[in-house]
Amino acid sequence: MAAPDPGIGTLAGNEMTMSETSPPESRQGIRDQVDGRLHGSGSGLDAVASTEDLSITFARGRQRIHALQGVSIAVQPGEIVALVGESGSGKSALGLCLLGLLPTRPAPEVAGTATICGVDMLTSPESEKRAIRRSRLGAVFQDPMTSLNPTMRVGAQVIEAAGSEDEALSLLEAAGIPHARTRMRSYPHELSGGLRQRVMIAMALAGEPSLVIADEPTTALDVTVQAQILELIRELRETKRTSFLFVTHDLAVAQQVADRVVVMYGGRVAESGPAGAVFDSPYHPYSAGLLDTRITLDGPLAVELPTLAGDPVDNSVVFSSCPYLPRCPSAQARCEDGVPELRQLDADRWVACPISADEYSGPGLVSIRSKARRAFQPAPRTLDLTESPDSPEIQLRGEASDGKASSHQVVVTVNDAEKSFPLGRRDSGRAVLALRGASLRVMAGESVAIVGESGSGKTTLLRAISGLTPLDSGSVQIEGRSPQMVFQDAGSSLTPWMTVGDILGERLRKERMSRHARRARVIEALRSVELSAGVVDAKPHQLSGGQRQRLAIARAVMVPPSVLLCDEPTSALDVSMASTVVNLLGRLRSDLGIAMVFVTHDLAVARTVADRLCVMYLGRVVEEGPADLVCSNPGHPYSIALLESVPGRGRFSPVSGEPPNPVNPPAGCSFHPRCPQAEAACSATSPCLKTGQGEEMSGLHPGDHHLVACIHWGGRLGSS
Amino acid sequence: MVASVFPAITLVALLVPILAPDNPLIPVTTSSGMSSFVAPGHHGFLLGSDLIGRDVFSRVLYGIRTSWFSAIGVIASGMIIGGAVGLVAGASGGLVDSILMRITDAFLALPGPVIAICVVAAMGPSLFHTLVAVAVVWWPFYARIVRGEIRALAGRTHVDAARLAGVSRFRLATRHLLPGAVPAIVVTASLDVANLLITMAGLSFLGLGAPEPAPELGAMAAQGMQFLLTDWWVAVMPGMAIFALALLSNIAGDGVRKLWGRS
Repeated sequence: MAAPDPGIGTLAGNEMTMSETSPPESRQGIRDQVDGRLHGSGSGLDAVASTEDLSITFARGRQRIHALQGVSIAVQPGEIVALVGESGSGKSALGLCLLGLLPTRPAPEVAGTATICGVDMLTSPESEKRAIRRSRLGAVFQDPMTSLNPTMRVGAQVIEAAGSEDEALSLLEAAGIPHARTRMRSYPHELSGGLRQRVMIAMALAGEPSLVIADEPTTALDVTVQAQILELIRELRETKRTSFLFVTHDLAVAQQVADRVVVMYGGRVAESGPAGAVFDSPYHPYSAGLLDTRITLDGPLAVELPTLAGDPVDNSVVFSSCPYLPRCPSAQARCEDGVPELRQLDADRWVACPISADEYSGPGLVSIRSKARRAFQPAPRTLDLTESPDSPEIQLRGEASDGKASSHQVVVTVNDAEKSFPLGRRDSGRAVLALRGASLRVMAGESVAIVGESGSGKTTLLRAISGLTPLDSGSVQIEGRSPQMVFQDAGSSLTPWMTVGDILGERLRKERMSRHARRARVIEALRSVELSAGVVDAKPHQLSGGQRQRLAIARAVMVPPSVLLCDEPTSALDVSMASTVVNLLGRLRSDLGIAMVFVTHDLAVARTVADRLCVMYLGRVVEEGPADLVCSNPGHPYSIALLESVPGRGRFSPVSGEPPNPVNPPAGCSFHPRCPQAEAACSATSPCLKTGQGEEMSGLHPGDHHLVACIHWGGRLGSS
Repeated sequence: MVASVFPAITLVALLVPILAPDNPLIPVTTSSGMSSFVAPGHHGFLLGSDLIGRDVFSRVLYGIRTSWFSAIGVIASGMIIGGAVGLVAGASGGLVDSILMRITDAFLALPGPVIAICVVAAMGPSLFHTLVAVAVVWWPFYARIVRGEIRALAGRTHVDAARLAGVSRFRLATRHLLPGAVPAIVVTASLDVANLLITMAGLSFLGLGAPEPAPELGAMAAQGMQFLLTDWWVAVMPGMAIFALALLSNIAGDGVRKLWGRS
């Protein structure tokens, strides 16, 4: 590396040599050059990355979107900073700014500075920005599939960034890729999502960058893999002293990984400080609200979740007062006097809230938090809608009463379901084995959550119940009205060229009624999900994500089904919207008396919404029981692993290994290759669901038993 | 903006009986009596006159009118027949899809001009017969495009959602699938107009169109060929008209494509 590189001399004058294919040996050279110029200019900046009073305005049609409004942040060497915010907070725009990758056509209006190691990434010439990106920066994005070149072997792509094969190999090994040398010969589509993200991290680490900007790097991953990646990032920080700017909407992830947190709201910094301090005692009402609305594994059950009041921030206005004011439970009169500046609380704590701690009795920060908390708490009402006079439940209830089943009736019976999807040519014989003998029953009015990693077959099971996916063998029986489904991406489940009124009115086509009566029913249904009647003529794309989700729910329960199937109903929503949707589903459930089946990867959501929990692994149910019991006292090593992988809690010990490949499930207990408790017998027997007393039961048993399919469960010698 | 060329040409075609100075079928008698092969710009003939003294300008205008409405008619029939076949095939899938698409393939394999010759030979020369012959080979193209669009849409979540909502198959096809294919059909059709104009002019040039003395651009060009060296305008003027019409259609088609946001 120290050898003089012949390319350096021409670098400044010739952009072409700086292209992505230039010999990466020159990285060190570029860095020396950059450093030299930096030190020469005498700007002795400590921060690896910093922005000062950064504002960005995008023009979208006639609207002007103020993505950032005067943001100043800094990332110190070896520090992991989490940038937390909901959609529209400007967190991703900030990341793009620091990478110097803002769109050029149409170019946004930019003010302020964004510097990486002293080089301004906004105004510097492209060649200089490229030099910084090569030598100082790494980037990891949400979807590694689109960031990798599908036509190149991953090894070749990493070598391109790293410079040599040996270097690439050591990077891949540092990124925790098992059998790195053989993996280098794979194409991106041959790798799992987690491995692809590790490849991206390896590429980002090439050339020992000072800073890696990671934009939602774990959002698309399974919770177990997310846990591994978060561990990896902390480890890399320790071993390589790399700084990370970690952009995420997930507070728990931020809490797990970050040293310092910057909470953003409406394109501004609301609060920043050490992660521990911010999460333990948030000062800004927004941070406090976000933390309170988070769905956690230890929150209270059977009460409505706290939600953030009001609508998400509108980015098309320039604020003249605190952007959070319309939603703030602690607002004071003087909050309207201009946008609050960041003020220093402690050595490293800043907050943009003018309310001082002494304005409240009691010990400062805590009292503000508890005041906020009180305001967020729902009115003390039960989950029954009949008590709230403003809820238009008349029609829906009337519908429900005739379809309502007694509580002992089984509404869904899935018996020994098997389903495989052939891979490629039909005669090749290879197939994804999505379901391998799963059984499930759902009682009337009951709520069941199915959890598992991708490839566990949970969505296939849900689609089989809905009737959309026919089974290869086994049976599905439904009592009462045909099931309805709320899809993961509500936006794409609504026909884009139809109006809200048409989409809802369609459910009533079987009933003879006047146009006027139908419209009244539609408006009633909109109100029941807290949408205003004004949206009836809107098209789905004119609604926000949360509104679309509520519309999808309204369609599903307009004619109440016997069972409502929900496929990851909250995963595409912001933190504050998720709890609103969970509350809504809970209310509809108790009001209409319908059973619900949730598919989710989020154990906290599962525990909150469900009476009973089913843990699936490779097309089979491995554990089943009362939700709270399974979460507090999991029996199957896989359930334990899932729980331990949930970020933001004290214990955090990710299970090793990749999510399994459903094309080729292991013999015996499918989990044994990853199981920390595996023994020889595990690869030979495939255990059945058993009670704690060792009594075998299928998934169709009556009652609320805690069943686990593991030879260690109950009597240790079991039935093996 | 550019897309408005389509309605503009249609308007011109509608107004031809008013715009044309003379009857396209009857020779014009001038003061000197003889009016054959008058050069463009003389004796009030804007584009000259032909062998028997008919006004070339009027004949070209009527020719444009015929070509334009023929093209629109064939495209409309292609959109309707092809759209229906494609919609049924795409929305049904499975065996119905396979059978309908194989039938479509068979029609796609028919040679257009040969079919036209056969039809004209069997039923006698007439514009309508030619149009039927062209329409028979034209619709499979649309069927394939519509079917492809519908297949792609059928895999989307909103179709699953509609199915669960208890929507009938007919309504599923017409309300949840077809509107999604409309942009593709319209864009394809607008880029197809020029194609069709040239194909039909070619058939007419070969004598497979409306028989004499009907003013048709292809036929006029064919007749004018024998006088090309002495009285060039008789052949060149209708040729220029075909060229201009096709060019304008292509530009307008491109405009439609941009308008509907397709690349």
